[in-house]
Parts: sequence; structure tokens; C-alpha cells
Amino acid sequence: MTLRSAAPRSGRPTRLHSAVFQPIGDEGRAALVERRIAEAIMGGVLSAGERLPAEPELAAAFGVAPATAREALLVLRERGLIVTRRGRNGGSFVADSADPVQFATRALLDSSRVSLRDAGQHYVAITAACVDLAARRADPSEISSIRARLERVDDHDLAAWRRASDDAVIELAALSQSARLTREQMKLQGEFSPLLALIDTDATSRRASRDHLLDVLSAVGTADAEAATAALREGTRFMIDWLIAYRERHGAAITAPIATVPASPAPAASTRPERSRP
Amino acid sequence: MSIHPLTPASRTAAEHPVELVTEYFARAIDALADWREQLSTEIAAARADAPLTTDRLDELVEPSALRLFDTVDLPVYGSGFIAALDSLADANSHLAWWQGPERAQLVLASQSINKEHIDYSELEWYRVPFQTGQPHVAGPYVDYLCSDEYTITVAAPVHIDEVFVGAVALDLLIDRVERDLTPRLAAFGDDISIVNGVGRVLLSTSPARATGDTIRGDDLDAFERFACPGMALDVLIAR
Repeated sequence: MTLRSAAPRSGRPTRLHSAVFQPIGDEGRAALVERRIAEAIMGGVLSAGERLPAEPELAAAFGVAPATAREALLVLRERGLIVTRRGRNGGSFVADSADPVQFATRALLDSSRVSLRDAGQHYVAITAACVDLAARRADPSEISSIRARLERVDDHDLAAWRRASDDAVIELAALSQSARLTREQMKLQGEFSPLLALIDTDATSRRASRDHLLDVLSAVGTADAEAATAALREGTRFMIDWLIAYRERHGAAITAPIATVPASPAPAASTRPERSRP
Repeated sequence: MSIHPLTPASRTAAEHPVELVTEYFARAIDALADWREQLSTEIAAARADAPLTTDRLDELVEPSALRLFDTVDLPVYGSGFIAALDSLADANSHLAWWQGPERAQLVLASQSINKEHIDYSELEWYRVPFQTGQPHVAGPYVDYLCSDEYTITVAAPVHIDEVFVGAVALDLLIDRVERDLTPRLAAFGDDISIVNGVGRVLLSTSPARATGDTIRGDDLDAFERFACPGMALDVLIAR
């Protein structure tokens, strides 16, 4: 490498300074469009059988050329995520085989414990910040309308329940009155939603996560920021523990790189090394 | 970045902060009042021909929505029409909406793909005009549906034969409203805040009062409170 980053005049380059000159990758626009749609399909935002917007509409929505949209659709078709039908009622549709829970299961089994714990920490960092601000800023009426919407949903309809539950978290985040935090929360919720959908398939755990969410809402409704963030931490810990336990039960061994070393036993529920109390 | 005309000098002649704030947001309400009459006629005519579809509605709304960006003396960020739920032939909800520096049409994934998913019946910019039949200044709120920013939405109901068919609306980003109003309000005092119906601070001439915080309960004792006529906004002036 002959390229040297100029040091700031004030002295040595700082860590942030060197971060400016990190590689940005050469992922093209078609790949970005493809990834956005693939994530939505794998996350269940777009579900099996749903029609995608027509090519020109898609191109306009993403702000890319029609040829770029076409290229992205081509790759999605090759990956088996969408199918294209010809004729008057034709167009591109999410493949009938696209099952977000299956995608989530595969992703979960491919994850390491450390990455799941880290994802949990990220979730807590953002969501707790939202919840803390919301507790200080929200009007009680705003919380009761989120609660009311959540309570109207029958949690036996798993898809409806997941959607309502994700919406409730985003609405709660928006009550922080912070646009940045809300955008972060939306990204995170999109990432976690398929994993949460996996937890939902177990009725007892679904009830438990529902109760955690209602606990957070109650605490925010009474402007108790401390109780709200504590409830949020507990809910997230429950979620990550559940996912790790699931992963251990369902063939984490398959993905272990060296099969000769016996898998270490799952950690007891009480050992949570990453959670130090402040 | 769109360029907005400079505020005419006469506009700075308000004698009280309430006048200044009311005049500012009334520009939006007045523009929407004209538009809602026009759109009501247009929708009624279109419906006489055929059941109204989302595409037809978009065609009707687009020219006026785009015109609003240039004709209203406000930093308009988004503009359009929100159809009353279950009022269209081919969707149960629809936002005919244009926004951003490009004034691009909003395409909501869940709207264009699964038309069942968007229920805006409880969102303030839809609910209040629907329930009261009056224009409403909604927010400030983080608009996670359209702008993704901290936003004020001014909305006015559209009726055909006294039946609610939707609301015309425009978005203002607080970022721009703050730049417009704070210096002008500062001429009246260094602790003047605009708050909404739940006491949420829209902006304040005091740097110590954060937008998004709420002033309520005993804290209100420190202020004189003035209601802005025709909109759910109050001006709080420190005693």
C-alpha cells in the first residue's frame, strides 16, 4: 500500500480518523436492492405468495435504474426466493417455499453463542435508550393506545401477533422522540423479528415474551424509567437465552468446525458471563 | 435541497408570539383548506365514472400535492392525501404521498405488496381530522411511516356529501421549523416554548429546553400559557 492517510495537523491520527479510510467494498446497487428484498423475505416482512411491485415501480421506489431492479430480481429468482409468472396477472411473487421461521432457524444454527450474546447487547443498548427516553417523555395516553392495540391481537395467529408485537416496539421507540434511535430500532427489529417469530412458535415462551413487553409498557406508562429499562433487560435476556438453548438442542454440533472435540455442555441458566450489573 | 422563498418582511411584524406561531401554521391550514375543496370535487367526479382505485387516486392527487411544495410559504417536506380506510376499490388503505428533496412518491413495501397491513386509523394525523372534521396540527412525532424524521403533520379532512373520504396533509420537519421560528420568537424573550396538546415541546427559545421533552403538571406554574386559535398548540412564556 502506498496510500497513506494524512495525519491531522493536531498530531497523531486518532482511531476515528483511521476508520475513515477503511474499505467500503464494491457492492453494486443491484446487490443492495437484492439484499434489501432478500432480507425482507427471509425476515417475513414479505411473505410467501405476495406480489412484488412491478419493475418500474420497484426501480422508482429504490431510486435505481430499471435495469438495476431487473438484475436484482434475476438474482432473487436464481436464489429461489421469488418466482416470476407471465400473463395478465403475472409479475414477481415471493416463492411459496419462503418460510421466515425456517430461514431464522438456519441463521440461528449458523450463529455462534458469542454473536448471539453480542446481538442481544446491541438490542439492549438501543432499546433501553428508547425506553428510558419514552418513560420520561411519553404521555400515559400514548402508552395505553399501544397496549390496547396489542391486547386486541389474538396471539394464536402467529403472523399477526409478531407483526403487532414488532409494531408495538417501534411505536414505543418512537415515543423516545428521537428519530435516530427510532431508525436504529427499526433496523434491529427487522433483524430480530424472524428470531422472535421462532420463539413465538412455543406457546409458553410466546406468553412470556408478551408479558415482558407488557411489563415494559406498564413501566413506561407510569413514567418509571428504571423499571422500564430493567424489564427490557429481563425480556432481552430471556430472548437470547431461549435462542441459545434452542441452538444447543437443535444440532449446534452440526456446524461445529471440529467434530472430534466433544461439544461442551450448555452453560447453566445462572451463568451469564456477559451480564454485569451496573 | 429545495429552496424556499424568503419570508416577507411584513411577516415579522407580529405583536405577540402567539400571533407569529398561529400565522406560521395557518399558512398550512389555509392551503389545505383550498385543496380539500378541490380534491373533494375531483374525487366525486372520478367516482361517478368508475370505482376509485389507488392508481386513479394517485393521478388525481399528484399535481396538487407537488404544487403545494412551491405555493405554500413553508419548508414543506412531504405532501399528499391519505385515503379513508376501506374507501377504495382495490385496497383498504392508501397514502398518495410525495416527499423529500426529490419529491418522490412514497412506496411503502407493505402498502404496495400486502394491502392489508397499514392501519393508520389511530395515528394522530388521520384520527383527529376524521373524528373532529377539522384541520389539525399533529405532532411533533417521529414519523416512522413516511419521513423517518421528527415531524409535524398538518392535516385537513376531505368530505364528499359529509362523508369522510380521507385527509389532505403536509409534513414539516422540526429541523426546519426550528430554524424558521426560533430566531423570530427569540425577539420576544429567551424562554418561550411552543408545546402541543400533551405538553410536548416543539421548540423553545431557551437552549435548555429540549424538543421532545414534555412540560406538564407543576412545571407549568412557571409559565404563562397562551392557546393558538384554530390549532392544538400553546405558547408558554416563562413568568
